[in-house]
Amino acid sequence: MTPGIDQGVGDAGEPIAEHRSRARATVDTVLRNRLAVAGLIVLALLVLAAILGPTIAPYDINDINVADRLTGPSTAHWFGTDELGRDVFSRVLIGARVSLLVGFIAVGIALIVGVPIGLVSGFYGGAADSWLMRMMDILFALPAILLAIAILAVLGPGIVNAMIAIGIVYTPIFARITRGSVLTIKESVFVRAARSLGATDGRILRTHILPNVTAPITVQASLSLAFAILAEAALSFLGLGVQPPAPAWGRMLSEGRGFFEQAPWMAIFPGVAIVITVMAFNFVGDGLRDALDPQQRSVIESRGAE
Amino acid sequence: MTEQVLSVDDLTVSFGTRLGRARVVNGFSYDVAEGETVAIVGESGSGKSVSSLALLQLLPVPPARVEGKALFRGDDLLTMSDAEIRRIRGNRIAMIFQDPMTSLNPVRTIGYQLIEPLAMHMGLDDRAARARAAELLEIVGIPSPGDRLDDYPHQFSGGMRQRVMIAMGIACNPDLLIADEATTALDVTTQAQILEEISRLQEYMGLAVIWITHDLGVVAGIADRVVVLYGGSIMEEAPIDDLFAQRLHPYTRALLASLPKPGLDRPRRLEAIPGLPPNPVRLPPGCPFAPRCTHAVERCFSEKPELRNPESSHRVACHFDAGELYG
Amino acid sequence: MTGYVVRRLFQMALALLGVSVIVFALIHLVPGDPVRIALGTRFDPDIYEALRARAGLDRPIVVQYFAWLGSAVTGDLGVSFRSGQPVAGLLLERLPATVTLAFSALFVALAVSIPLGIVSAVRSGSKLDYLSTATSQIAVSVPDFWAGIMYILLFSLVLSWLPPSGYVSFLESPVEWLRHLALPALTIGLISGSIIFRFVRSAVLEALNQDYTRTARAKGLSERQVIWRHVMPNAWIPIVTVVGLQLGFLLSGVIIVEVIFAWPGIGRLALLAVQDRDFTVLQGAVLLIAFMFLVINLLVDLLYGYLDPRVRYD
Repeated sequence: MTPGIDQGVGDAGEPIAEHRSRARATVDTVLRNRLAVAGLIVLALLVLAAILGPTIAPYDINDINVADRLTGPSTAHWFGTDELGRDVFSRVLIGARVSLLVGFIAVGIALIVGVPIGLVSGFYGGAADSWLMRMMDILFALPAILLAIAILAVLGPGIVNAMIAIGIVYTPIFARITRGSVLTIKESVFVRAARSLGATDGRILRTHILPNVTAPITVQASLSLAFAILAEAALSFLGLGVQPPAPAWGRMLSEGRGFFEQAPWMAIFPGVAIVITVMAFNFVGDGLRDALDPQQRSVIESRGAE
Repeated sequence: MTEQVLSVDDLTVSFGTRLGRARVVNGFSYDVAEGETVAIVGESGSGKSVSSLALLQLLPVPPARVEGKALFRGDDLLTMSDAEIRRIRGNRIAMIFQDPMTSLNPVRTIGYQLIEPLAMHMGLDDRAARARAAELLEIVGIPSPGDRLDDYPHQFSGGMRQRVMIAMGIACNPDLLIADEATTALDVTTQAQILEEISRLQEYMGLAVIWITHDLGVVAGIADRVVVLYGGSIMEEAPIDDLFAQRLHPYTRALLASLPKPGLDRPRRLEAIPGLPPNPVRLPPGCPFAPRCTHAVERCFSEKPELRNPESSHRVACHFDAGELYG
Repeated sequence: MTGYVVRRLFQMALALLGVSVIVFALIHLVPGDPVRIALGTRFDPDIYEALRARAGLDRPIVVQYFAWLGSAVTGDLGVSFRSGQPVAGLLLERLPATVTLAFSALFVALAVSIPLGIVSAVRSGSKLDYLSTATSQIAVSVPDFWAGIMYILLFSLVLSWLPPSGYVSFLESPVEWLRHLALPALTIGLISGSIIFRFVRSAVLEALNQDYTRTARAKGLSERQVIWRHVMPNAWIPIVTVVGLQLGFLLSGVIIVEVIFAWPGIGRLALLAVQDRDFTVLQGAVLLIAFMFLVINLLVDLLYGYLDPRVRYD
């Protein structure tokens, strides 16, 4: 029933002009999916919050006000205050910056490193393919957080290192997906035709393979963003990510643990923020996937579900 | 007068879809006598497969709605309880499907799949069932049957898999076998072999067969009677020789004309029937073939023709008779 | 089948070797002198020299690697830079706790996802189906550490039903063992279960729509027989694959949950090692966890071979 690996965009026989209108069709399909739209709206709000953060936050994140410490949610402090009297809402707001930043850059790193590896591996095959995939497999052999922790142990904690660590963790997935797509498309008729007309490797890569590979990569990117944000939160929860005094949702959770009985809101709100953000990315990712290639699910979800 | 194994009366199958109620089978009536081979011929979407699935209650009941009667040796299949119809399936009426690759469970040995109906319907114990299963494989022409019982479907070729399906079908000596496009997925040589196999079994077992196909070529060699279906309604029904000789209905005529004819001196263009099959959600009130019929007049679009000559063995659903149409 | 097993074993050995290279490289990628960093303010020239010698950091890298590998295979993973205790001993002490947690979490995950997944697929479109699918959508987005904290809030602080942390060995008190295990296992298990649920559901749905299911029904099998004899044997294959891939998540979750619940396992050890810059301990912990991961993956692969005859006769 399922015709083998179907990682390209539908039938791998479409010239580029059609691809552009397919982009339009994809956008249409996604927009019809209500969950995806909801996700997009949330994401838009988040990005807005991230950009405008400092301007719209009611309080400065380092506004220490010991007299007001550990007060519950109120009109003055929507999410309450923490142990140093800082406004939790403002900190959650600014925390959005960190999460989104780390998420996007980490996935960006994974893309920039992973996609070329996949392209080279799939396109040229042979020894390069063997070795590269073997390295990817080794990275795969370690559970995600463990690998990230190990990398941070070497590099030391910090926001940049966290981005690098998460980026490295997600590189194999992009490499694999890209390689898979390339392999499928490489054997398609129109590529062989182009070759017989004397097209150079570079040209084939650029004009035929890349456009058809963007679909699975896009879907994977959106799903990976969701997990990257979870990963960043986990790392900062463990104290390995963003360092104080910059607020990060994960670390706020960790700090909130100490004051659980007196001020549970310190831990509740950042957590809710994480859940909503990740859900939004997941919805958008699901929507993209359903629009671009529903059959992709079996490869992507299984690989990306960490 | 030979007994009627199956007597279908005014079968109607419709599906609730987002776009409306799709009427896929509309007042379909036919009989199958003991040992007879009836071919149901039609294009995709004509309702031929659905009508047979409905007989064994194999359609998911919402969204499908089945009306009419289907008497199997006197009992109405359509109103049977779940337990009752299960006793008929695979036992008194068997069905084999189009794609042997996907119709067999890939993770079970074929022995397991053959033994299932034997154990369930005939109460055979393990050893007896295994022996009978090997026998069945031999009957359908599979070499070294005993060894192959423990093999998996992917270890057989397409033609052999279809033979296994046939073996599963005849396992419990059914009265009626329904072959739904059973040879469509096979290459021509294998097709011929399977057709022959089933004919042989028919004689051997006194089996009645309903052949569902879109391919008149398949039908020519093996059917006793042909029912031509279009848009869920019968267009023409006749003993095979009469059908090919007289081809009373315009659709039948067009179908036969569209067949490629090998061995001609001059190459000729294939004659396709212009137009598209009717939309089951918006079925026209008149004759379903009217939009594509070269002889259609206004009456054809508004009034659905009844089957004429209901007593004789050759029936046609057309407002006009052959003389009026073909001069 | 033996061919398949042998090949998988070989692949696992290769992967393990590769992982060992990475783990070994850890200590050498640290900018600066790892031993000095580990000792930090407790620097003492004698201890420093002893540790360096013990870790063999003066020899050429390749030699070091093989020496390290050689010792590791015989069970000697060096000594902790912090405490001087043998790493292998530290790991062994904590192994039971981690294994218990991992298996319990897996158990919870499967106990939740498989029945729900099957029922949701068979009764696709029903209220139960919608409810489960919607819940899983949310559950999948919840970070495990936050879930853990929330459970502690609810079950320990508010309701006082279960203890918020700690580990009690089964041998000491089965009841307490269970009470302490409950929250950590649920934390990871429910989230993992939600991810697996979606796959179980789609795997069963897909199998239900296959032609062979129609054939089975046409043979006269009851719906129940169809599901258990034909649908599930096929559905298990993608399900097992997913569970295998979920193990990474499970183990990652174990690490975090051990921190939250003060569970004395290897994950917690690894984290403390990171904080202390105790590289030898970290190396040992990572190696051990990776090894466990690979072994379980191997078992899953073997199970896969058993379930899918097409793979066996490859």
